[in-house]
Amino acid sequence: MSQETAIKKTGSGALVGSVLLGAAFIAIGWFITANGVTTNTEHSIQEAVGIHIEFGKLLGTIGIFVAMFKVADVFFLTPLFEAIHGRTSELENTFSEAENLRAEMTQLKADYEKRITETENSAREQIQAQIKEAQDLKKELMADAQRKAEEYKTQAMSEIDTEKRKTLTDLRLHVTTLSLQATEKLLSENVDNDRNRKIIDDFLATVEVKN
Amino acid sequence: MDLLTRFNMLLASGTETVGGEAAEHGAEAAHHVVAPLPSFYGLMVLIAIVFLVMIGFLASAKGGLNKKFFTKTTTKLLEQLFVFIEGLAVGIIGAHGRKYIPMMMVFWLTIFIGNLVALLIHASPTSDLSFNLGMALIAVGYVQFEGMKANGVVGHFRHFAGPKLPLAMIPITLMIFIIEIISETMKNVSLSLRLYGNIYGGGEAVKAMNNLGAQYGVPWLNFGDFLFPIKLLTCVVQALIFCLLFAVYLSLVTHHEEDHEEGHDHSAHGETAPAH
Amino acid sequence: MLPLALGLAAIGCGIGLGLIGYGAMQGMARQPEAIGKLQTAMLIALAFVELVFLLTVFVGAGAFRG
Repeated sequence: MSQETAIKKTGSGALVGSVLLGAAFIAIGWFITANGVTTNTEHSIQEAVGIHIEFGKLLGTIGIFVAMFKVADVFFLTPLFEAIHGRTSELENTFSEAENLRAEMTQLKADYEKRITETENSAREQIQAQIKEAQDLKKELMADAQRKAEEYKTQAMSEIDTEKRKTLTDLRLHVTTLSLQATEKLLSENVDNDRNRKIIDDFLATVEVKN
Repeated sequence: MDLLTRFNMLLASGTETVGGEAAEHGAEAAHHVVAPLPSFYGLMVLIAIVFLVMIGFLASAKGGLNKKFFTKTTTKLLEQLFVFIEGLAVGIIGAHGRKYIPMMMVFWLTIFIGNLVALLIHASPTSDLSFNLGMALIAVGYVQFEGMKANGVVGHFRHFAGPKLPLAMIPITLMIFIIEIISETMKNVSLSLRLYGNIYGGGEAVKAMNNLGAQYGVPWLNFGDFLFPIKLLTCVVQALIFCLLFAVYLSLVTHHEEDHEEGHDHSAHGETAPAH
Repeated sequence: MLPLALGLAAIGCGIGLGLIGYGAMQGMARQPEAIGKLQTAMLIALAFVELVFLLTVFVGAGAFRG
């Protein structure tokens, strides 16, 4: 099936042998023609059938071909077949090499793709972690700020409260003093200071402060 | 033209001395060969011309052989020829037909170059019946040899006798045998006469056309030259047909061994094919 | 008589060649993928038909010429 069967080396012995055989054929043909051995037969064939054959030439032709087959074989055809066969096998080699390279490349490509995916994944994880961290920080900071704000607010409230209470007390004291002075002026004496003060105090306690 | 005529007469010098003069007057004396058939020496000279051309061609092509790819024109042409002949051999004979490629190539080149020579000088080995018969004898003899190698001597001759018949039918087997032998002989005649008739007849047709032109008053015009394309076509076709028939004969003789090898395959095909 | 006979032979051969060409062309037109096989078979058939004519011309005419 393969081309190996077509390439059959012709040995030099076969070459020389076939050339000698061909030369022998040619010599016999020449001898026949020169001596007119078959002239009568040729004439009778031409009389009977009408075609002209010379046996000398026939033998010469056969001899030349017997030699020529081997000569052409050795001279050109075997090199041609070898060249074509070599080219075919080289092409096959090149193809298989390319195929191997391609497989290798595919392997490499798969590897790289895998690595790229891994890198991407890790990068994404890192980014996610950073984002989470930042968010935590943000939350913490915000909570801190809120807490501080609350603190300030409560402090301010308590200060305000204290101030208010102080002011109220002052005011009450003042009002009490004023009332007492007014009452003193009105009653102009005799009034037990302590008792009156107590009455007024009671009164003032019942008066709701509208603040 | 004068040179060619002289050359032809030179080739013809020998046993057959029918020169160009006789060729033109010999139309009524049709008994004689019209063209100067080459003598033994003339034929040898022509064959030498053909083979020198062929060897030169092959030598030119040999220079372009390498393992990469062929760039030389002659090498490429011969590679094309090889591919063509390989297709012929593998297509007709089968896979084991590759070993006949060298022989077919030599036949092809010889006949083709011989025919080309017949176009240029008006004589060529292929227009000589003896040469053609010699080639045909080699071809058919080689076919017989291959047949004996493939089937054994007895098997090869049994193949001639046709199918196996009962003992009472011996006369019929004998008749088949004789007919087969005759047909084997006719293969030689067929191969050689076809080539001879085409090349020699082509030359004769050119001469007849030239005579016609000369008769009807256009002496400077060779009407026969109009036949050149068809003669060129004949060159290729004859070379092809010789190789083709050689391959067909070989396949007829050697196809039995394949039958035994791939018999199961064929039967399997035969069973599956008529299913639909 | 001989030219007439040769002409008749040529007619027969021409018809045969034409039939082969006709059949082959038709087959090729119907199945272009089978052209290779058809060409081979056609050439073989052409060669065999041509052989008949060649035999007629060279052997037949030669034999009856004398």
